Amino acid sequence: MTAGGETVPAGARRRPSFQLIQAGTVLLLLVILCAVSAARTETFLTWRNLVINLLTNASYLGIIACGMTFVMVAGGFDLSVGSTTTVCSVMAVLVLQGLAGQPPWLAITGAVLATAAVGAALGAFNGVSVAYGGVNPFVTTLSTMLVFRGIALIMTHGGQTLSVPLALKDALSQVYWGKVALFGTETYQVTVPILVFVAVFAVSVFVLRFTRFGHYVYAVGGNENASWLAGINTSLVKASTYGLCGLTCAIAAVIYTGMSNTAQAASYQGLELVVIASVIVGGTPLGGGAGGLFYTLIGLLLLSVIENLLPQFGVEEEYRNIVRGLIILVVVAMDTLVRKRGRT
Amino acid sequence: MTHDHGQATGVSLLRMEGIVKDFSGVRALDRVDFDVRAGEVHALIGENGAGKSTLMNVLAGRFADYRGRIVFSGKEARPTNPREALALGIGVIFQDLSVLPNLTVAENLLLGHEPPGRLPGTLNRRDLMAQARRVLDDVGFDLPVGAPVGRLSHARQCLVEIAHAMRGNVRLLVFDEPTASLGSEDVERLFEVIRGLKARGIGIVYISHRLAELPLIADRVTVLRDGRVVGTRDVAGTKVSELSHLMLGRRLTEMFPEKRNTPGDPLLRVEGLTRPGTLEDVSFEVRSGEILGLAGLVGSGRTEIARAVFGADPAAGRVTLDGRPLGRRSPRAAMARGIGMIQENRKRDGTITGLSVAQNIGISVMDRLAGLAGFLTPGRVRRNAERMIRRMDVRPPDPARAIQTLSGGNQQKAILGRWLCRDPKVLILDEPTQGIDVGTKAQIYRLIMDLACEGRAILLISSELFELVNLADRLLVVRQGRIVREMTPGDRTDVDAVFAACMRKEPR
Repeated sequence: MTAGGETVPAGARRRPSFQLIQAGTVLLLLVILCAVSAARTETFLTWRNLVINLLTNASYLGIIACGMTFVMVAGGFDLSVGSTTTVCSVMAVLVLQGLAGQPPWLAITGAVLATAAVGAALGAFNGVSVAYGGVNPFVTTLSTMLVFRGIALIMTHGGQTLSVPLALKDALSQVYWGKVALFGTETYQVTVPILVFVAVFAVSVFVLRFTRFGHYVYAVGGNENASWLAGINTSLVKASTYGLCGLTCAIAAVIYTGMSNTAQAASYQGLELVVIASVIVGGTPLGGGAGGLFYTLIGLLLLSVIENLLPQFGVEEEYRNIVRGLIILVVVAMDTLVRKRGRT
Repeated sequence: MTHDHGQATGVSLLRMEGIVKDFSGVRALDRVDFDVRAGEVHALIGENGAGKSTLMNVLAGRFADYRGRIVFSGKEARPTNPREALALGIGVIFQDLSVLPNLTVAENLLLGHEPPGRLPGTLNRRDLMAQARRVLDDVGFDLPVGAPVGRLSHARQCLVEIAHAMRGNVRLLVFDEPTASLGSEDVERLFEVIRGLKARGIGIVYISHRLAELPLIADRVTVLRDGRVVGTRDVAGTKVSELSHLMLGRRLTEMFPEKRNTPGDPLLRVEGLTRPGTLEDVSFEVRSGEILGLAGLVGSGRTEIARAVFGADPAAGRVTLDGRPLGRRSPRAAMARGIGMIQENRKRDGTITGLSVAQNIGISVMDRLAGLAGFLTPGRVRRNAERMIRRMDVRPPDPARAIQTLSGGNQQKAILGRWLCRDPKVLILDEPTQGIDVGTKAQIYRLIMDLACEGRAILLISSELFELVNLADRLLVVRQGRIVREMTPGDRTDVDAVFAACMRKEPR
């Protein structure tokens, strides 16, 4: 309390919120990075590199990042997405093997539905443990990260590589390799993963921004106690975000299976870190209550561009992890500085 | 400029004379004189923004740019940072404790001054314990040095904080609203500690807005209003009503709306509400259009009654609304039946930080605002909020602004708006004017009266007896989790009678 009591505090004058400033810095960095690479390499600024290569690679991470954004805006955390994706991909291949004799559309639809159910169920398990069991999200998903991978190991009979039956291979490949021409030309094509990502992203934006549930997600992350006292079923909201996250893992798993045509219990390790990094670099705070999908998109693009540039700039494989790690650290440190400035 | 207070008794420890402090052109303190004698508890009271905290911040060396003179134990002093103030012997205990709950008492007491061990970077645990014991012996507190502070009761955590503040040679201690978050037992223990400090000749400044506490602890009281001293009194022989008049001045009569509401049929009935240790067989009813006040000291069980009715805490007993019992107990179930509640702790239980004013207002009616499949446009949320912002006069009237950037009073108005969106039949208000300036208080009083006139039942809890006496149709006095008396406030001087009823000790 200062004198003057109810005069509006000086910091409250209208100015772009810290969120915007923060997203602005990351966006600025992204633009600068693109400009530098476009100037230095000829290959960067081509449709083939940017869309077919970079965006397609980013797509399956982006799909999971959408689910992760829900979890993190609600104040949670999910370390188990890598393992969940693994179980989902194993499930997809197992169903395809079981339906090998069926027409391709039926087999693939069956696989998609079964995979989605498994993904949502694994996510819901996390959600129930966090929201109703009261176990810390970090601990819960660290445990299920191990448990889910163990399940995948059993489903693959101790780590065998499962292959998609030959009869379905070509059809399934379209899920990853399929291309749709834009403007009727051969040059401007987009891949199916990009289309799926755009669809998942659009639906996620809609749910998070334009539905009651989306508002509740922000409210629970902002102040869970007050939300509960305002009549929100906070446990259900929290649990649902994990379920959604599991569902996005399933979608990503199907797409990725289309590329590799196999499923292995050891796949997708470390995936969770890249996804969480995208969300955090984008500007969704660890405590939740703020941030959003467009922030995540910017974070994801920044990390993807860096990933794309490492070989183009001749960074040797053994140095890349150091560069990746340092960049995440620097970006978040920069954001923190901007955040402090924004406050005073 | 010299002032002579003509102190006959007690040795003058602190004299602040003609203190003037401006904040960007606004005068926060205007020629304030204030003094404390050794071994005296001097209470400093006033409305929000009256200048209590500013005056103590001047004393604690928080500002460099003030005018006036400070004389501390006979010598002129001009502390310009907290370290200098501490070196002089002035300690401040803030409302929110700053102890580290996972460290032991000893570690907390010697934080930053740990005795080094033999190897560089290590510390000597035996010395640490011994030194901590010495510190505690000096102040005369009996605390387990090896126990984590988080395991102690809140009152004993206060002791750790006090001992920490008194590590130097502190001779004046400022308590800034120390009882704001204490239960009644803990308040009693804290008072005992303060009496102990007093007996050792330490001067105490006691900031509070709870008039009811003063007779228990303070010797003198100084009232600030709009940055000026409006009076200094001996607590003995001064009535609560007089202090209220001093705090509010002319405003007292203008602040409260005329009583226009007419209580109708019973609406909410509470029977045998019991929760072991906190509530015992609480029964009452509230009529439509009635304002029922719950009076009692902090920790008497007022809030617990309200929370149990709202379903925020579990309790045995029956709550019926409109003749139909409330089944499952949860805030959601209570809301569905038309009960709303403004929580006492606005920051913890009310505002949802990060969300806009519009979302904070709309959060309780999202189900009604949303269309098919939960579809909800930002426009709908905004329009719903704009209606409430106009009605509640939230300033600035900007639905997109983040709620935490509003002043306390405007946050409260937004949260009231949140509940009014649901058009509740029963509205429970727990300390609705806490931490709010006088002008906004008056607005909220008018609103409460309007709501009662619309036929809603209002359950009003407040530490400020004047609010209760001026607004409530009936008053229930709560002591130790029980309703001990029902009163019907007749006129505004009843404050002293209500106060006496709240204070009376139970025969044990």
